[in-house]
Amino acid sequence: MSLRQVKVSPFQAGLVLGVGSALVQAYFKVIPPLAYGVCMVCHPRDLFNWIADHLFNLNWNFSMASTNWPVLTVVGVVLGALTAAYLHGELHFRPAQRPLFYFVNGFLMINFGLIIGACPIRIVLLSAYGDFTGVFTWVCIVAGVVLGTWFMRWYARRSVERQPSS
Amino acid sequence: MTVSIATLVLGFVIGYLGQRSRLCFVSGYRDFILTHNTTLLKGVVGAFLGALGGYILFSHLGGVIPEFPIFLNVGIGTFRSEWLIMLVGGLGVGIVGVLSGGCPYRMHVLAAEGRKTQWFYLLGFYIGLVFYNLVTVHLMVVIRALL
Repeated sequence: MSLRQVKVSPFQAGLVLGVGSALVQAYFKVIPPLAYGVCMVCHPRDLFNWIADHLFNLNWNFSMASTNWPVLTVVGVVLGALTAAYLHGELHFRPAQRPLFYFVNGFLMINFGLIIGACPIRIVLLSAYGDFTGVFTWVCIVAGVVLGTWFMRWYARRSVERQPSS
Repeated sequence: MTVSIATLVLGFVIGYLGQRSRLCFVSGYRDFILTHNTTLLKGVVGAFLGALGGYILFSHLGGVIPEFPIFLNVGIGTFRSEWLIMLVGGLGVGIVGVLSGGCPYRMHVLAAEGRKTQWFYLLGFYIGLVFYNLVTVHLMVVIRALL
């Protein structure tokens, strides 16, 4: 069986992500802060600010794990996903839909994420580390998802009701 | 150097697996609420169990897993302000995550598949990072002082 035929379930992918994040902390110095193996908000911040700091001396914040060399998780994720998409024939350039809406969402996501100092992945890692604040923030994120989902349902219903009946 | 190589390799692996499995840390909750579909939610459970097992195993094997389990990562004096910030930030991440259709990890994966919608998301994401460095950081200092 070739690599292309291997099927991966979300549970298996999550398991690898969890063990991998513990592994890079335990043996590859991705620490401090604690439970910092994967974070798709803080690691881009570290890489971006590390480059900005070294090129332009801006003195922007990055974690101690990135003091000498930056974390490259985000580069790896993009390269890995690109490779997988290419190997499985799923690399297609699709046109943008509602670009301004998504632009604003990205803008808000990094700001909210950096305010709590974590993305939804690191919140799970922090909770696994036994951090009560991590568990609390996890509950808040789920509550936010519930609110967002209700809003989307309400918006979809309203759109249907407003459509003129033929 | 070790940090860069290790995170690059781990990132590559989870990027590859994320593209194949559609793993997402926001859509899992959303799908469960909307359709009671637990496929993606199992990914979140897998990450939690994998991390928990990894921390327990590597701490026994002598890896660098300090203060595990940590229980409380916030000083008692900053209790109220930090928890309020976590509440607002957590709700914000959840709501924005649902509206954009996934967590930042999923958005990076989708952008790598060639979806230009997610390219605009990432453009906003990295411009938002500059805004955070220039404005939000200072705003948070003021908010923390007021709380």
